[in-house]
Amino acid sequence: MKINTTVKNLDNYKIYLQVEKAIHEFMEKNNYLKIDIPVLSPALIPESYLEIFETDFKFLDKKEKLYLTPSPEIFLKRLLVAGIGNCYYLGRAYRNSEPNSDWHNPEFTMLEFYKVGVNYLELADEVLNLLQYIKDQISKIKTAKQKSEILFQKWEKYSVAQAFEKFAGITKTELFSEKLFFKKAEEKGYNINKTTYEDIFSQILATEIEPKLGVNGYPTLLYDYPKQMASLAKLNNDSLTAQRCEFYINGLEVGGFCTELNDYKQQEERFESEIKKRKKNKMINHSIDKGFIEALKYGLPNCTGAGIGFERLVMIMANVKSIDKLKLINIS
Amino acid sequence: MRISAGNLKKGDFVNFQDGICQVQKADFYSPGKGSALMKSRLKNLITAKNVEYAYKSNEQVEVLDVVSVEMQYIYKDNENLYFMDERTFEQTSLPISVVGDISRFFKEGEKMFVYMFDDKPLTIRPPMSVRLKITQADDAAKGDTVSGAKKPVTVETGATVMVPIFVKVGETISINPETGEYTGRV
Repeated sequence: MKINTTVKNLDNYKIYLQVEKAIHEFMEKNNYLKIDIPVLSPALIPESYLEIFETDFKFLDKKEKLYLTPSPEIFLKRLLVAGIGNCYYLGRAYRNSEPNSDWHNPEFTMLEFYKVGVNYLELADEVLNLLQYIKDQISKIKTAKQKSEILFQKWEKYSVAQAFEKFAGITKTELFSEKLFFKKAEEKGYNINKTTYEDIFSQILATEIEPKLGVNGYPTLLYDYPKQMASLAKLNNDSLTAQRCEFYINGLEVGGFCTELNDYKQQEERFESEIKKRKKNKMINHSIDKGFIEALKYGLPNCTGAGIGFERLVMIMANVKSIDKLKLINIS
Repeated sequence: MRISAGNLKKGDFVNFQDGICQVQKADFYSPGKGSALMKSRLKNLITAKNVEYAYKSNEQVEVLDVVSVEMQYIYKDNENLYFMDERTFEQTSLPISVVGDISRFFKEGEKMFVYMFDDKPLTIRPPMSVRLKITQADDAAKGDTVSGAKKPVTVETGATVMVPIFVKVGETISINPETGEYTGRV
Protein backbone atom coordinates (compact mmCIF):
# COMPACT_ATOMS: atom_id res chain seq x y z
CA MET A 1 0.00 0.00 0.00
CA LYS A 2 1.07 3.57 -0.49
CA ILE A 3 -0.05 7.10 0.31
CA ASN A 4 -1.68 9.10 -2.46
CA THR A 5 -2.51 12.76 -1.97
CA THR A 6 -4.52 14.77 -4.45
CA VAL A 7 -6.36 18.07 -4.54
CA LYS A 8 -8.27 17.07 -7.67
CA ASN A 9 -10.98 15.66 -5.42
CA LEU A 10 -11.61 18.96 -3.67
CA ASP A 11 -15.19 19.38 -5.01
CA ASN A 12 -16.12 15.91 -3.78
CA TYR A 13 -14.31 16.38 -0.50
CA LYS A 14 -16.44 19.47 0.13
CA ILE A 15 -19.52 17.26 -0.23
CA TYR A 16 -17.87 14.80 2.18
CA LEU A 17 -17.52 17.53 4.79
CA GLN A 18 -21.03 18.85 4.22
CA VAL A 19 -22.58 15.38 4.56
CA GLU A 20 -20.67 14.91 7.82
CA LYS A 21 -21.95 18.26 9.08
CA ALA A 22 -25.54 17.50 8.01
CA ILE A 23 -25.50 14.16 9.86
CA HIS A 24 -24.37 15.81 13.11
CA GLU A 25 -27.08 18.49 12.70
CA PHE A 26 -29.82 15.96 11.97
CA MET A 27 -28.83 13.81 14.93
CA GLU A 28 -28.78 16.77 17.27
CA LYS A 29 -32.17 18.04 16.05
CA ASN A 30 -33.65 14.59 16.59
CA ASN A 31 -32.24 14.20 20.08
CA TYR A 32 -29.55 11.61 19.50
CA LEU A 33 -26.55 12.03 21.77
CA LYS A 34 -23.19 12.02 20.02
CA ILE A 35 -20.87 9.40 21.51
CA ASP A 36 -17.12 9.49 21.13
CA ILE A 37 -15.59 6.02 21.30
CA PRO A 38 -12.05 4.71 21.84
CA VAL A 39 -10.33 3.56 18.67
CA LEU A 40 -8.20 1.06 20.62
CA SER A 41 -10.00 -1.46 22.78
CA PRO A 42 -8.60 -4.22 25.05
CA ALA A 43 -11.53 -6.53 24.21
CA LEU A 44 -14.17 -6.98 21.51
CA ILE A 45 -17.42 -8.76 20.66
CA PRO A 46 -16.73 -12.08 18.86
CA GLU A 47 -17.78 -11.83 15.22
CA SER A 48 -16.95 -14.61 12.81
CA TYR A 49 -17.36 -12.64 9.61
CA LEU A 50 -14.92 -9.86 10.30
CA GLU A 51 -11.21 -9.91 11.03
CA ILE A 52 -9.59 -7.31 13.22
CA PHE A 53 -6.34 -5.34 13.55
CA GLU A 54 -4.25 -6.25 16.58
CA THR A 55 -1.51 -4.25 18.28
CA ASP A 56 0.37 -4.14 21.60
CA PHE A 57 0.57 -1.59 24.36
CA LYS A 58 4.12 -1.80 25.77
CA PHE A 59 5.56 -0.44 29.00
CA LEU A 60 8.89 -1.72 30.39
CA ASP A 61 8.52 -5.50 30.44
CA LYS A 62 4.73 -5.44 30.31
CA LYS A 63 2.68 -5.94 27.19
CA GLU A 64 -1.06 -5.86 26.61
CA LYS A 65 -3.02 -6.59 23.47
CA LEU A 66 -5.20 -3.83 22.04
CA TYR A 67 -7.48 -3.99 19.02
CA LEU A 68 -8.69 -1.38 16.55
CA THR A 69 -12.47 -1.29 16.92
CA PRO A 70 -14.29 -2.84 13.94
CA SER A 71 -17.60 -1.27 15.03
CA PRO A 72 -18.86 1.05 17.80
CA GLU A 73 -21.57 -1.47 18.77
CA ILE A 74 -19.72 -2.75 21.85
CA PHE A 75 -19.57 0.72 23.44
CA LEU A 76 -22.96 2.04 22.35
CA LYS A 77 -24.81 -1.05 23.60
CA ARG A 78 -23.06 -0.88 26.99
CA LEU A 79 -24.32 2.70 27.26
CA LEU A 80 -27.84 1.75 26.10
CA VAL A 81 -28.02 -0.79 28.92
CA ALA A 82 -26.94 1.99 31.29
CA GLY A 83 -29.87 4.09 30.06
CA ILE A 84 -28.22 6.61 27.75
CA GLY A 85 -31.19 6.61 25.34
CA ASN A 86 -30.99 7.55 21.67
CA CYS A 87 -27.35 7.85 20.63
CA TYR A 88 -25.02 7.79 17.64
CA TYR A 89 -21.41 7.51 16.56
CA LEU A 90 -19.91 8.90 13.39
CA GLY A 91 -16.28 7.99 12.99
CA ARG A 92 -13.66 5.49 11.97
CA ALA A 93 -13.97 1.73 12.05
CA TYR A 94 -11.30 -0.80 11.05
CA ARG A 95 -11.65 -4.19 9.40
CA ASN A 96 -8.74 -6.39 8.46
CA SER A 97 -8.69 -8.83 5.52
CA GLU A 98 -10.98 -6.55 3.53
CA PRO A 99 -8.95 -5.16 0.64
CA ASN A 100 -9.54 -1.81 -1.00
CA SER A 101 -12.20 -1.69 -3.64
CA ASP A 102 -14.30 1.01 -5.26
CA TRP A 103 -16.76 0.89 -2.35
CA HIS A 104 -14.73 -0.18 0.68
CA ASN A 105 -11.46 0.45 2.50
CA PRO A 106 -10.11 -1.45 5.55
CA GLU A 107 -10.22 1.89 7.38
CA PHE A 108 -13.62 3.43 6.85
CA THR A 109 -16.18 5.77 8.40
CA MET A 110 -19.34 4.50 9.91
CA LEU A 111 -22.54 6.08 11.15
CA GLU A 112 -24.18 3.90 13.77
CA PHE A 113 -27.22 5.01 15.72
CA TYR A 114 -29.77 3.54 18.08
CA LYS A 115 -33.33 4.66 18.70
CA VAL A 116 -35.11 3.37 21.75
CA GLY A 117 -38.73 2.15 21.63
CA VAL A 118 -39.09 1.67 17.86
CA ASN A 119 -38.86 -1.35 15.59
CA TYR A 120 -37.00 -1.67 12.29
CA LEU A 121 -39.83 -0.51 10.02
CA GLU A 122 -40.56 2.47 12.24
CA LEU A 123 -36.92 3.53 11.99
CA ALA A 124 -37.11 3.31 8.17
CA ASP A 125 -38.96 6.66 8.06
CA GLU A 126 -36.27 8.32 10.15
CA VAL A 127 -33.54 7.02 7.82
CA LEU A 128 -35.41 8.46 4.85
CA ASN A 129 -35.70 11.82 6.64
CA LEU A 130 -31.96 11.74 7.32
CA LEU A 131 -31.18 11.08 3.64
CA GLN A 132 -33.51 13.89 2.55
CA TYR A 133 -31.99 16.27 5.11
CA ILE A 134 -28.48 15.53 3.84
CA LYS A 135 -29.55 16.04 0.23
CA ASP A 136 -31.12 19.41 1.09
CA GLN A 137 -28.03 20.57 2.96
CA ILE A 138 -25.61 19.79 0.14
CA SER A 139 -27.76 21.00 -2.74
CA LYS A 140 -26.27 24.50 -2.66
CA ILE A 141 -22.68 23.39 -3.07
CA LYS A 142 -23.22 20.69 -5.68
CA THR A 143 -21.55 21.16 -9.06
CA ALA A 144 -23.36 20.11 -12.25
CA LYS A 145 -21.33 16.90 -12.32
CA GLN A 146 -22.42 16.01 -8.81
CA LYS A 147 -26.15 16.25 -9.49
CA SER A 148 -27.93 12.95 -9.11
CA GLU A 149 -31.50 11.95 -9.86
CA ILE A 150 -32.13 9.99 -6.70
CA LEU A 151 -35.12 11.11 -4.60
CA PHE A 152 -35.74 10.34 -0.95
CA GLN A 153 -39.50 10.94 -0.63
CA LYS A 154 -40.26 7.24 -0.37
CA TRP A 155 -38.78 3.77 -0.32
CA GLU A 156 -39.11 1.22 -3.05
CA LYS A 157 -39.83 -1.74 -0.75
CA TYR A 158 -39.34 -5.48 -1.24
CA SER A 159 -39.34 -8.21 1.34
CA VAL A 160 -36.36 -10.52 0.78
CA ALA A 161 -38.81 -13.22 -0.36
CA GLN A 162 -40.41 -10.86 -2.92
CA ALA A 163 -37.00 -9.79 -4.25
CA PHE A 164 -35.78 -13.38 -4.63
CA GLU A 165 -38.96 -14.26 -6.51
CA LYS A 166 -38.94 -11.18 -8.74
CA PHE A 167 -35.25 -10.97 -9.62
CA ALA A 168 -33.92 -14.51 -9.17
CA GLY A 169 -37.01 -16.66 -9.84
CA ILE A 170 -36.73 -18.33 -6.44
CA THR A 171 -40.09 -18.95 -4.76
CA LYS A 172 -40.83 -18.34 -1.10
CA THR A 173 -41.03 -22.10 -0.50
CA GLU A 174 -37.60 -22.59 -2.07
CA LEU A 175 -36.07 -19.68 -0.15
CA PHE A 176 -37.15 -20.96 3.25
CA SER A 177 -36.29 -24.63 2.72
CA GLU A 178 -32.52 -25.19 2.82
CA LYS A 179 -32.86 -28.38 0.75
CA LEU A 180 -34.91 -26.75 -2.03
CA PHE A 181 -32.75 -23.62 -1.91
CA PHE A 182 -29.56 -25.62 -2.51
CA LYS A 183 -31.25 -27.55 -5.32
CA LYS A 184 -32.36 -24.34 -7.01
CA ALA A 185 -28.92 -22.76 -6.57
CA GLU A 186 -27.25 -25.79 -8.16
CA GLU A 187 -29.66 -25.63 -11.12
CA LYS A 188 -28.67 -21.99 -11.53
CA GLY A 189 -24.98 -22.96 -11.73
CA TYR A 190 -23.78 -22.00 -8.23
CA ASN A 191 -21.15 -24.21 -6.63
CA ILE A 192 -22.90 -25.77 -3.64
CA ASN A 193 -20.05 -28.02 -2.48
CA LYS A 194 -18.78 -27.37 1.05
CA THR A 195 -20.89 -24.29 1.38
CA THR A 196 -23.60 -22.94 3.68
CA TYR A 197 -27.08 -21.50 3.23
CA GLU A 198 -25.72 -18.10 4.26
CA ASP A 199 -23.00 -18.18 1.59
CA ILE A 200 -25.29 -19.19 -1.26
CA PHE A 201 -27.83 -16.61 -0.10
CA SER A 202 -25.16 -13.88 -0.26
CA GLN A 203 -23.93 -15.06 -3.66
CA ILE A 204 -27.37 -14.99 -5.24
CA LEU A 205 -28.19 -11.68 -3.60
CA ALA A 206 -24.96 -10.07 -4.84
CA THR A 207 -25.11 -11.59 -8.33
CA GLU A 208 -28.77 -11.44 -9.29
CA ILE A 209 -30.60 -9.09 -6.97
CA GLU A 210 -28.44 -6.23 -5.68
CA PRO A 211 -27.69 -4.78 -9.14
CA LYS A 212 -31.47 -4.25 -9.57
CA LEU A 213 -31.99 -2.41 -6.28
CA GLY A 214 -32.16 1.35 -5.87
CA VAL A 215 -32.05 1.96 -9.62
CA ASN A 216 -35.56 3.38 -10.19
CA GLY A 217 -34.97 6.84 -8.76
CA TYR A 218 -35.65 5.89 -5.13
CA PRO A 219 -33.65 3.93 -2.56
CA THR A 220 -34.75 0.32 -2.14
CA LEU A 221 -35.48 -1.15 1.25
CA LEU A 222 -34.98 -4.91 1.45
CA TYR A 223 -36.57 -6.29 4.62
CA ASP A 224 -37.31 -9.49 6.55
CA TYR A 225 -34.19 -11.60 6.06
CA PRO A 226 -34.34 -15.38 6.53
CA LYS A 227 -33.55 -16.26 10.14
CA GLN A 228 -30.19 -17.75 9.10
CA MET A 229 -29.19 -14.18 8.21
CA ALA A 230 -30.69 -12.71 11.40
CA SER A 231 -27.40 -11.61 12.89
CA LEU A 232 -28.44 -9.76 16.07
CA ALA A 233 -32.00 -9.02 14.94
CA LYS A 234 -35.23 -10.11 16.63
CA LEU A 235 -37.18 -12.82 14.85
CA ASN A 236 -40.64 -12.16 13.39
CA ASN A 237 -43.70 -14.11 14.51
CA ASP A 238 -43.56 -16.23 11.33
CA SER A 239 -40.40 -17.80 12.85
CA LEU A 240 -38.89 -17.79 9.33
CA THR A 241 -37.64 -14.23 9.12
CA ALA A 242 -35.82 -11.64 11.20
CA GLN A 243 -36.61 -7.95 11.68
CA ARG A 244 -33.63 -6.84 9.67
CA CYS A 245 -33.42 -4.64 6.59
CA GLU A 246 -30.77 -3.19 4.31
CA PHE A 247 -31.07 -0.34 1.87
CA TYR A 248 -29.60 0.09 -1.57
CA ILE A 249 -28.95 2.98 -3.91
CA ASN A 250 -27.71 2.42 -7.46
CA GLY A 251 -27.17 -1.28 -6.72
CA LEU A 252 -24.94 -0.55 -3.75
CA GLU A 253 -25.76 -1.50 -0.18
CA VAL A 254 -25.46 1.73 1.79
CA GLY A 255 -26.73 0.70 5.21
CA GLY A 256 -28.99 -1.45 7.27
CA PHE A 257 -30.91 -1.61 10.50
CA CYS A 258 -32.60 -4.16 12.68
CA THR A 259 -34.74 -4.48 15.77
CA GLU A 260 -32.10 -5.44 18.31
CA LEU A 261 -32.26 -8.84 19.91
CA ASN A 262 -32.45 -8.35 23.67
CA ASP A 263 -33.02 -11.89 24.83
CA TYR A 264 -29.87 -12.49 26.85
CA LYS A 265 -29.90 -16.29 26.44
CA GLN A 266 -30.09 -16.06 22.63
CA GLN A 267 -27.28 -13.49 22.62
CA GLU A 268 -25.05 -15.71 24.75
CA GLU A 269 -25.65 -18.68 22.42
CA ARG A 270 -24.79 -16.52 19.45
CA PHE A 271 -21.51 -15.36 21.03
CA GLU A 272 -20.48 -18.93 21.78
CA SER A 273 -21.16 -20.02 18.23
CA GLU A 274 -19.22 -17.01 16.91
CA ILE A 275 -16.22 -17.82 19.14
CA LYS A 276 -16.22 -21.40 17.81
CA LYS A 277 -16.39 -20.20 14.21
CA ARG A 278 -13.48 -17.77 14.80
CA LYS A 279 -11.36 -20.61 16.17
CA LYS A 280 -12.30 -22.93 13.32
CA ASN A 281 -11.42 -20.26 10.75
CA LYS A 282 -8.09 -19.56 12.52
CA MET A 283 -8.94 -15.90 13.05
CA ILE A 284 -7.14 -13.65 15.56
CA ASN A 285 -7.90 -14.93 19.05
CA HIS A 286 -8.88 -11.63 20.72
CA SER A 287 -10.12 -11.06 24.27
CA ILE A 288 -13.89 -11.14 24.64
CA ASP A 289 -15.51 -8.19 26.39
CA LYS A 290 -17.05 -9.95 29.38
CA GLY A 291 -18.34 -6.61 30.69
CA PHE A 292 -20.44 -6.31 27.53
CA ILE A 293 -21.96 -9.75 28.04
CA GLU A 294 -22.54 -8.91 31.72
CA ALA A 295 -24.20 -5.61 30.76
CA LEU A 296 -26.62 -7.36 28.41
CA LYS A 297 -27.82 -9.48 31.34
CA TYR A 298 -29.32 -6.30 32.77
CA GLY A 299 -31.22 -5.95 29.55
CA LEU A 300 -30.80 -3.94 26.39
CA PRO A 301 -33.89 -1.72 26.03
CA ASN A 302 -36.22 -2.35 23.08
CA CYS A 303 -34.49 -0.46 20.31
CA THR A 304 -33.46 -0.45 16.68
CA GLY A 305 -29.86 -0.01 15.63
CA ALA A 306 -28.74 1.29 12.25
CA GLY A 307 -25.39 1.25 10.50
CA ILE A 308 -24.61 3.33 7.42
CA GLY A 309 -21.41 3.31 5.40
CA PHE A 310 -20.51 7.00 5.44
CA GLU A 311 -18.22 6.93 2.40
CA ARG A 312 -20.82 5.04 0.36
CA LEU A 313 -23.41 7.62 1.32
CA VAL A 314 -21.08 10.43 0.21
CA MET A 315 -20.42 8.57 -3.06
CA ILE A 316 -24.17 8.67 -3.73
CA MET A 317 -24.48 12.32 -2.70
CA ALA A 318 -21.46 13.41 -4.78
CA ASN A 319 -22.46 11.13 -7.68
CA VAL A 320 -19.10 9.34 -7.93
CA LYS A 321 -18.33 5.69 -8.51
CA SER A 322 -15.46 5.07 -6.10
CA ILE A 323 -14.31 6.03 -2.63
CA ASP A 324 -10.90 7.24 -3.78
CA LYS A 325 -12.64 10.11 -5.63
CA LEU A 326 -13.91 11.51 -2.31
CA LYS A 327 -10.78 12.01 -0.30
CA LEU A 328 -7.66 14.11 -0.51
CA ILE A 329 -5.54 11.36 1.03
CA ASN A 330 -5.99 7.75 0.02
CA ILE A 331 -4.09 4.70 1.18
CA SER A 332 -4.26 2.07 -1.51
CA MET B 1 -3.65 -23.54 -11.36
CA ARG B 2 -6.16 -23.40 -8.50
CA ILE B 3 -6.40 -20.15 -6.56
CA SER B 4 -8.77 -18.63 -4.03
CA ALA B 5 -11.36 -16.53 -5.80
CA GLY B 6 -10.23 -13.64 -3.57
CA ASN B 7 -7.02 -13.56 -5.63
CA LEU B 8 -8.76 -13.37 -9.00
CA LYS B 9 -7.67 -10.39 -11.04
CA LYS B 10 -8.50 -8.66 -14.26
CA GLY B 11 -7.18 -10.62 -17.22
CA ASP B 12 -7.37 -14.11 -15.64
CA PHE B 13 -9.15 -16.88 -17.55
CA VAL B 14 -11.65 -19.15 -15.84
CA ASN B 15 -14.20 -21.78 -16.78
CA PHE B 16 -17.64 -20.46 -16.07
CA GLN B 17 -20.89 -22.16 -17.00
CA ASP B 18 -19.24 -24.39 -19.61
CA GLY B 19 -17.44 -21.58 -21.36
CA ILE B 20 -14.03 -19.98 -21.01
CA CYS B 21 -14.29 -16.46 -19.68
CA GLN B 22 -11.85 -13.66 -19.07
CA VAL B 23 -12.15 -11.69 -15.84
CA GLN B 24 -12.93 -8.05 -16.69
CA LYS B 25 -13.32 -6.87 -13.11
CA ALA B 26 -12.96 -8.52 -9.70
CA ASP B 27 -13.74 -6.57 -6.56
CA PHE B 28 -13.69 -7.74 -2.99
CA TYR B 29 -17.07 -7.29 -1.31
CA SER B 30 -17.96 -8.05 2.26
CA PRO B 31 -21.71 -8.02 2.86
CA GLY B 32 -20.93 -7.41 6.55
CA LYS B 33 -22.85 -10.47 7.63
CA GLY B 34 -21.72 -13.78 6.15
CA SER B 35 -18.78 -14.73 3.96
CA ALA B 36 -16.87 -12.23 1.89
CA LEU B 37 -17.42 -12.31 -1.85
CA MET B 38 -15.46 -11.51 -4.97
CA LYS B 39 -17.83 -9.61 -7.27
CA SER B 40 -16.65 -10.39 -10.76
CA ARG B 41 -17.49 -9.48 -14.31
CA LEU B 42 -16.69 -12.34 -16.67
CA LYS B 43 -16.59 -12.03 -20.43
CA ASN B 44 -17.28 -15.21 -22.35
CA LEU B 45 -14.59 -15.47 -25.03
CA ILE B 46 -16.92 -17.00 -27.56
CA THR B 47 -20.17 -15.10 -27.10
CA ALA B 48 -18.38 -11.88 -26.00
CA LYS B 49 -21.17 -11.44 -23.44
CA ASN B 50 -20.46 -10.16 -19.95
CA VAL B 51 -21.93 -11.89 -16.93
CA GLU B 52 -21.79 -10.79 -13.32
CA TYR B 53 -20.98 -13.43 -10.72
CA ALA B 54 -20.12 -13.22 -7.03
CA TYR B 55 -17.65 -15.91 -5.96
CA LYS B 56 -17.08 -16.71 -2.32
CA SER B 57 -13.64 -15.20 -1.72
CA ASN B 58 -12.33 -18.48 -0.23
CA GLU B 59 -13.74 -20.62 -3.05
CA GLN B 60 -11.14 -22.44 -5.14
CA VAL B 61 -11.17 -21.44 -8.79
CA GLU B 62 -9.17 -23.00 -11.60
CA VAL B 63 -7.30 -20.29 -13.50
CA LEU B 64 -6.72 -21.53 -17.04
CA ASP B 65 -3.44 -21.20 -18.84
CA VAL B 66 -4.82 -19.45 -21.89
CA VAL B 67 -2.13 -17.81 -24.02
CA SER B 68 -2.46 -15.35 -26.85
CA VAL B 69 -0.27 -16.13 -29.84
CA GLU B 70 0.47 -13.58 -32.54
CA MET B 71 -0.55 -14.88 -35.97
CA GLN B 72 -1.10 -13.55 -39.43
CA TYR B 73 -4.63 -13.55 -40.77
CA ILE B 74 -4.34 -15.04 -44.25
CA TYR B 75 -7.79 -15.57 -45.71
CA LYS B 76 -11.33 -16.73 -45.15
CA ASP B 77 -13.84 -18.95 -46.87
CA ASN B 78 -17.56 -19.21 -46.26
CA GLU B 79 -17.17 -20.81 -42.86
CA ASN B 80 -13.70 -20.26 -41.48
CA LEU B 81 -10.96 -17.71 -40.93
CA TYR B 82 -7.39 -18.99 -41.49
CA PHE B 83 -4.32 -17.84 -39.57
CA MET B 84 -0.63 -18.67 -39.73
CA ASP B 85 1.85 -18.75 -36.89
CA GLU B 86 4.75 -16.84 -38.42
CA ARG B 87 7.35 -18.65 -36.34
CA THR B 88 6.28 -22.20 -37.09
CA PHE B 89 4.35 -21.54 -40.35
CA GLU B 90 1.61 -23.74 -38.96
CA GLN B 91 -1.90 -22.85 -40.04
CA THR B 92 -4.90 -22.82 -37.86
CA SER B 93 -8.55 -22.00 -38.47
CA LEU B 94 -11.44 -20.56 -36.50
CA PRO B 95 -15.12 -20.66 -37.50
CA ILE B 96 -16.49 -17.22 -38.43
CA SER B 97 -19.47 -17.99 -36.19
CA VAL B 98 -17.12 -18.22 -33.19
CA VAL B 99 -15.11 -15.08 -33.92
CA GLY B 100 -18.31 -13.18 -34.61
CA ASP B 101 -19.00 -9.81 -36.18
CA ILE B 102 -15.56 -8.38 -35.57
CA SER B 103 -14.17 -10.50 -38.41
CA ARG B 104 -15.82 -8.00 -40.81
CA PHE B 105 -12.90 -5.71 -39.98
CA PHE B 106 -10.04 -8.20 -40.50
CA LYS B 107 -7.69 -7.38 -43.34
CA GLU B 108 -5.68 -10.14 -44.97
CA GLY B 109 -2.01 -10.03 -43.97
CA GLU B 110 -2.71 -8.24 -40.65
CA LYS B 111 -1.32 -9.56 -37.40
CA MET B 112 -3.78 -10.72 -34.79
CA PHE B 113 -3.64 -12.43 -31.44
CA VAL B 114 -5.29 -15.85 -31.22
CA TYR B 115 -6.25 -17.20 -27.80
CA MET B 116 -4.93 -20.75 -27.44
CA PHE B 117 -5.77 -23.27 -24.72
CA ASP B 118 -4.22 -26.74 -24.68
CA ASP B 119 -2.73 -25.95 -28.10
CA LYS B 120 -6.20 -25.41 -29.56
CA PRO B 121 -7.37 -22.03 -30.87
CA LEU B 122 -10.33 -20.57 -28.95
CA THR B 123 -10.99 -17.27 -30.63
CA ILE B 124 -9.38 -13.92 -31.46
CA ARG B 125 -8.29 -11.40 -28.89
CA PRO B 126 -10.22 -8.43 -30.27
CA PRO B 127 -7.83 -5.65 -31.28
CA MET B 128 -8.50 -2.32 -29.51
CA SER B 129 -8.82 -0.68 -32.89
CA VAL B 130 -8.28 -1.44 -36.56
CA ARG B 131 -7.18 0.95 -39.30
CA LEU B 132 -8.92 0.59 -42.62
CA LYS B 133 -9.09 2.58 -45.84
CA ILE B 134 -12.42 3.86 -47.12
CA THR B 135 -13.14 2.42 -50.55
CA GLN B 136 -16.60 3.81 -51.17
CA ALA B 137 -18.46 6.83 -49.86
CA ASP B 138 -21.12 9.21 -51.05
CA ASP B 139 -20.48 12.91 -50.79
CA ALA B 140 -22.50 14.53 -48.08
CA ALA B 141 -25.62 16.27 -49.29
CA LYS B 142 -25.04 20.00 -49.70
CA GLY B 143 -26.32 22.08 -46.84
CA ASP B 144 -26.22 19.15 -44.44
CA THR B 145 -24.39 20.94 -41.68
CA VAL B 146 -26.12 19.39 -38.71
CA SER B 147 -23.47 18.78 -36.13
CA GLY B 148 -22.93 15.10 -35.52
CA ALA B 149 -24.51 14.09 -38.84
CA LYS B 150 -23.23 10.77 -40.15
CA LYS B 151 -23.13 8.78 -43.40
CA PRO B 152 -22.36 5.16 -44.21
CA VAL B 153 -19.07 4.28 -45.96
CA THR B 154 -17.55 1.01 -47.10
CA VAL B 155 -14.05 0.09 -45.95
CA GLU B 156 -11.50 -2.12 -47.72
CA THR B 157 -12.69 -5.31 -46.01
CA GLY B 158 -16.20 -4.71 -47.36
CA ALA B 159 -17.71 -3.73 -44.00
CA THR B 160 -19.96 -0.68 -43.65
CA VAL B 161 -19.25 1.94 -41.00
CA MET B 162 -21.05 5.14 -40.01
CA VAL B 163 -18.66 8.11 -40.14
CA PRO B 164 -18.95 11.91 -39.83
CA ILE B 165 -19.89 13.51 -43.12
CA PHE B 166 -16.48 15.20 -43.61
CA VAL B 167 -14.68 11.83 -44.05
CA LYS B 168 -13.85 11.01 -47.69
CA VAL B 169 -12.95 8.08 -49.95
CA GLY B 170 -9.27 7.13 -49.76
CA GLU B 171 -8.87 8.22 -46.16
CA THR B 172 -7.84 5.75 -43.48
CA ILE B 173 -9.97 5.61 -40.37
CA SER B 174 -9.75 3.80 -37.08
CA ILE B 175 -12.63 1.62 -35.91
CA ASN B 176 -13.40 -0.15 -32.68
CA PRO B 177 -14.07 -3.63 -34.08
CA GLU B 178 -16.11 -4.75 -31.08
CA THR B 179 -18.68 -1.97 -31.43
CA GLY B 180 -18.17 -1.30 -35.13
CA GLU B 181 -17.89 2.41 -34.36
CA TYR B 182 -15.71 4.97 -36.10
CA THR B 183 -13.19 6.38 -33.62
CA GLY B 184 -11.23 8.82 -35.76
CA ARG B 185 -9.24 9.66 -38.87
CA VAL B 186 -5.67 8.36 -38.99
